[in-house]
Amino acid sequence: MVNPILLIVIPLGLAFVVPLFRFISKKIEKFIPFFALLANLIISLTLFPHVLEKPIHVSIGGFLPPLGINLVAGPLGILFAMLIALVGFLVSIYAFAYIKEKDQEKYHILYLLLLTGATGVVLTGDIFNLFVFFEILCISSYSLVAYFGDKPGIESAVKYLIQGAVGSSLVLIGIGLLYGQFGTLNMADIASNIHSVHSISVFIPLVLLITGFGVEAAIFPLNAWLPDAHSSAPSSISAILSGIAIEVGLYAIVRVVFTLFGASSILTFLLFLGVITLLIGELCAFNQENIKRMLAYSSIGQIGLIVFALSIGSLSGINGGLFQLVSHTLSKALLFLAAGYMIFRSGSMNISSFEGMGKKMPYTSFAFTIGAFSIVGLPPFIGFPGKFMILKAALFEQDILFTILVFLILLATIIEGAYFFRVVQTIYFKGEKSTPGQEREIAPLSVLIPVFIFVGLIVVIGIYPKLITEILESSASELLNRADYIKNILP
Amino acid sequence: MNFLSEYIYYIGAFSLIFIGLFIVLAKKNLIKVIIGLSIVDTGINLFLITLGYIRGGTAPVFSKPGLKAENMVDPVPQALVLTAIVIGVAVLALALTLAIKLYKHYGTLNLRKIKEQKW
Repeated sequence: MVNPILLIVIPLGLAFVVPLFRFISKKIEKFIPFFALLANLIISLTLFPHVLEKPIHVSIGGFLPPLGINLVAGPLGILFAMLIALVGFLVSIYAFAYIKEKDQEKYHILYLLLLTGATGVVLTGDIFNLFVFFEILCISSYSLVAYFGDKPGIESAVKYLIQGAVGSSLVLIGIGLLYGQFGTLNMADIASNIHSVHSISVFIPLVLLITGFGVEAAIFPLNAWLPDAHSSAPSSISAILSGIAIEVGLYAIVRVVFTLFGASSILTFLLFLGVITLLIGELCAFNQENIKRMLAYSSIGQIGLIVFALSIGSLSGINGGLFQLVSHTLSKALLFLAAGYMIFRSGSMNISSFEGMGKKMPYTSFAFTIGAFSIVGLPPFIGFPGKFMILKAALFEQDILFTILVFLILLATIIEGAYFFRVVQTIYFKGEKSTPGQEREIAPLSVLIPVFIFVGLIVVIGIYPKLITEILESSASELLNRADYIKNILP
Repeated sequence: MNFLSEYIYYIGAFSLIFIGLFIVLAKKNLIKVIIGLSIVDTGINLFLITLGYIRGGTAPVFSKPGLKAENMVDPVPQALVLTAIVIGVAVLALALTLAIKLYKHYGTLNLRKIKEQKW
């Protein structure tokens, strides 16, 4: 069996040797993220059957928990690690053709570091280590947002950095308060003692941690940075930020709320927060003229939906939330990649400049349409089972409150449908029927391959959701059975 | 008075954190905001150190005979602070780099005047 620590070590190690490969050949560096993430994908796939039987746990340096730093590769961690490796791998193929500016090696170093941070967050079992990996993720995403160095990029990177740094500071205060009370940083150890102290003294760290991680997860009202950052970053990075970075923030919140604190009383609050985030995101997205801003606001909305589903707190609710998370990662990454290439060709982010794209770039427009339909939740794409499971879980609670919230969610979905269909309509049916002199152009293979792998996954999982429900169910039960998590690490 | 002398380090650390947060929220100049972030960081580092501090304690190394564990300070928060300082430096350096770039683009560091990315 492979050691799960390789999932962190391979991208981290290769990130810093990227400049060395420059001495051999300048063409080689863009293939390094490709190989690193391919290795990660293979490792996480081989670990996957072992993890379903029993979570793997590694003590680094031979110090047994609660003393040393430990890695816990449970079903949830491996699910995220697989998603990160998959999306990172496909986006690194996209970057072959997309990143052509100078200083390419910096892009590839930061890209690998971002994914290292994300993988570290989902695999670690130590709360301070989680913070360190989280900071690696944040700092590399601040600098990748500013990668082009243009006016909007720098401005949104500054905004993102200020808000992110305040959020990280809050997380660190929360960790300090927890350490002061429990004298340990091991998550299982803290979790096993959390009910032994007065509730107000664990409530403050809980709030600090949720707020701090909530900045990265873009939960309302902490989402001001997201539309700017996601719209002015390079499109490949927008796909990673939307598909991975905010999900990792969400993972941190979920891990803290369910495993670390076992705080089921705060879930009602998160339920409302989720629905508000959903409504705000969709309403703002409806009004956008800039395609990437629209997609970014739609990400906020989707995050709200996932937060809502996870806060239902029942097994089927968490199951649906995780399904929606997978579906959002795949569909939004696809949308950003497809839209990114269309922007690259048309030179404008305005939706009206997409007129007639259906004729000019048939494959890319087709992929964009699939992504849009999937986000809205049309069958047979992956978005449909996700939304269906969430609504079923919410209505199963048989509470008038949930019925009202479901009504609001369906309302938000209609808004979502309205603005996505408007874009699809612009792509196919607007503009002059045949513009002379405009040839059909086929995107390069490095764009088409990742985009169509995403399309394939979206359709296949949409038609046959059982493909991933097994791992989702064991992840959901890992979150709910915190006693098992503790017992597994501290025998 | 007794309360004050017992908790003075915590009071100091949290005062620094709140001063820093106030600067981040209230100041218009980007450099001042970055200074605010740095003050928050310092406050948190002091807070973490205070968690493990024992008055008159010494380093957790068995250097002298008769040195007992209860006279030693907790080494874990010091390790945490070391890491936190490194992270803080990285964020600070990146923030200042972005400030230089921002000044080149806009000719000002006043955050109230930089609002192209609004809506």
